[in-house]
Amino acid sequence: MNPMLSDDTVAGLPLSLGRAELLEEIMSTPVLDDRPATTPPAGRSSRWLAPVAVAAAVALLVAVTAWWGSGYGPGGESGADGIASAPAPERDYRAILDAPGWTVENVYADSHGGELSYAKGEQSFEINWYPAASYDDYVEDRRHITDPPSDGEPVEVLDLDARMWAYSDTDHTAIREPAAGHWLEVRGGGMDRAAYLALLGELRLVDEQAFEAAMPATFVDGSERDAAIEEILAGIRRYVDPVIPPGSQRVGFSSDQNDPYHLGADVAGAVACEWLADFAEAHRAGDQRRMDRAAAALATARQWPVLQQMEADGDYPEAIYGYADEVAAGQVPEGYADGLGCEG
Amino acid sequence: MTDGREETFRRLYAAHFDAVLGFALRRTERPEDAADVTADTFLVAWRRLAHVPAGQEQRPWLYGVARRVLANHRRGDRRRTHLGERLRRELAAAVPDVSDGVVQRADVTAAMRRLSARDQEVLELHLWEGLEPREIAEVLGLTTVVVRPRLSRARARLRDLLGNDPEAGGHVPSRQPQLTREERP
Repeated sequence: MNPMLSDDTVAGLPLSLGRAELLEEIMSTPVLDDRPATTPPAGRSSRWLAPVAVAAAVALLVAVTAWWGSGYGPGGESGADGIASAPAPERDYRAILDAPGWTVENVYADSHGGELSYAKGEQSFEINWYPAASYDDYVEDRRHITDPPSDGEPVEVLDLDARMWAYSDTDHTAIREPAAGHWLEVRGGGMDRAAYLALLGELRLVDEQAFEAAMPATFVDGSERDAAIEEILAGIRRYVDPVIPPGSQRVGFSSDQNDPYHLGADVAGAVACEWLADFAEAHRAGDQRRMDRAAAALATARQWPVLQQMEADGDYPEAIYGYADEVAAGQVPEGYADGLGCEG
Repeated sequence: MTDGREETFRRLYAAHFDAVLGFALRRTERPEDAADVTADTFLVAWRRLAHVPAGQEQRPWLYGVARRVLANHRRGDRRRTHLGERLRRELAAAVPDVSDGVVQRADVTAAMRRLSARDQEVLELHLWEGLEPREIAEVLGLTTVVVRPRLSRARARLRDLLGNDPEAGGHVPSRQPQLTREERP
């Protein structure tokens, strides 16, 4: 095995001739493909660019303890029945894994698509859904999993054609053709090809209701969401009342998240954004009293129950605390809007 | 147009050659293999220059390419090109003489080998390349939401094996100041 050299050490190796020669050799080879990329090459992560802050900050380690029970969640069954009897045009685009022993680790969905990940011991299985418009770009990106690029191995996923590529012997991904305005990518790790293919057969397309029903008990479904948001706000209101600065244009709070952590980040983040924007505006105007008011509101963030509950699961609360500290020091935090995913 | 392309590539090559070669050296058996992985990685970058992102996303993108090249090499698909012959020779001569300047202690490397491949990979990118979860996500084609808990779990497992946190004693920072910056939340 080569020694684990640091880049510094590598930079000091006597390779100048070889390094220069390789550069010239490469540039003397023909250019095969010079079309500009329409999406970043790291395909899958591109959809996180818009809500990048939320994606980056909303780290989580959701300690989901709920299991699928026997492996057949109530939603899974109804969803499966619906699909089995409906070969006609699909309406559902979300998929769940309907296999024993697999635990939901994480779910995230927004207007760009969604992600549902499962774990079983060291194995992982991730289901992503995206709007159909991005299909070609992702396929092109995945073609480069292999060198030279390839169209992947044809497989079938949920009765539609799909292409499969192997990142390694135990890490495979498949992209299913668009249907119902969306397409699916399914990636399995820690398992061989046969096990992965077997799991593809355990996927079920489900509607929104069945999807929510298949989530663990800790997840907040659509019918519970408004109450959950109100509860979060009530907790914050104990320390900041009114919850948002006077004069704010915000009308209510909303979220399309199912996961308590993400939901909490949406709501607490929106509150923090309002006060940070208020502070920035006051700072520009030189309005010290207004600055103090905003700083005082943000200074209570460490006491907001929702953030305290989220602390064990990720770094989002820390991000808000950090901004609050900067505001307390009289500074407008640089990049806070991107950092927290503030709207507008 | 061609000149502009060449200039862009020269800059890319100059900025990231050591990092890509270091990435390859830390993951291959022989210096010659690392030279091949480096040559193939930059060949992909040359051919797909229009796809290479700008700024700080460049290095994770190159690592992502190198990772796929490496996977092909491991499958036995060695030496797709015959580029970099001199680099192979120079590297084969130079590497065995180096005994310090390594990124981590041998016991940490041994402990990491006991983890799953998935845990190993995120830890390597974090400890060896100094990448933050967002950059690891770029390399692996995953989202940060997936990478962050995975990294956290992998670190905990490694800590359990070692009895301490590997970064405390084992990590000698390598030269990626622009990549070890604090991640924006």
